[in-house]
Amino acid sequence: MSILYVALGGGTGAICRYLLGLWIKTKTKQRFIPTAMLYVNVLGSFGLGLFFGMIYNEVPFMVYEDPLFLLIGIGFFGAFTTFSTFSIEASALLQKQKWTGLVQYVGLSIGGSLAAFLIGMFLFRL
Amino acid sequence: MIKMNRHLWTIIAIFIGGIAGTLLRYLINLQTMTLLFPLGTVIENLVGSLLLGILTGWVMVKMIPPLLKEGLGVGFCGGFTTMSTLAADSVLLAGELSMLYSGLYLLISLVGGVTLALFGMIMGQKIAKGKLKEGEGV
Repeated sequence: MSILYVALGGGTGAICRYLLGLWIKTKTKQRFIPTAMLYVNVLGSFGLGLFFGMIYNEVPFMVYEDPLFLLIGIGFFGAFTTFSTFSIEASALLQKQKWTGLVQYVGLSIGGSLAAFLIGMFLFRL
Repeated sequence: MIKMNRHLWTIIAIFIGGIAGTLLRYLINLQTMTLLFPLGTVIENLVGSLLLGILTGWVMVKMIPPLLKEGLGVGFCGGFTTMSTLAADSVLLAGELSMLYSGLYLLISLVGGVTLALFGMIMGQKIAKGKLKEGEGV
């Protein structure tokens, strides 16, 4: 059964990432740094934080038997957010030697995701 | 031929790729879940960056069917790697071990991911060019 929860969450998360990415691209102007996956990653990290805060009140460790964790944590938000596109876009900025853009993109992606995760997690603990 | 909306086919390809990538990530996590240091996520994010690099390099040189590209790139590599777990892992490490481990984890992921993506792009172009030469030789 575990595999089913992971698969369902993961497949849905990947589709949502794709569709939201397309929508963001139609709504935003061409910017100095690629923004679609940046927004998706920050939003997904916020969502995972919110989920952890609401259900576990902390970052859960070793809960691989919990169907909700598999469906939402590993599956949905795991697949909704992505690291490989981040690496590609960062390495493209590096290759073009756009140093300011690279620092902005990396800082906003990593820092933004971390901050969003923490905000999400502590939102329901106040 | 069944004329189905291309957008729908793309979504199906991403769904299948996303399932495969997420399942593989889950299986790797199961092997490493007893470790406090999230070695599984490091492996997934680094290998996924390399694979997407190879794919990106490949399509710079050679055409591949768009559905395959989207299924492998957006679906598989996207679903295999994760940013939200990276954020959660860093918070867990900072709380359970120290900020130093958290920083180290982020640094390994970042430097490793970007380096492997670059390496992958170069490799992908080379592989695609190599195949191209074979094809021309016939």
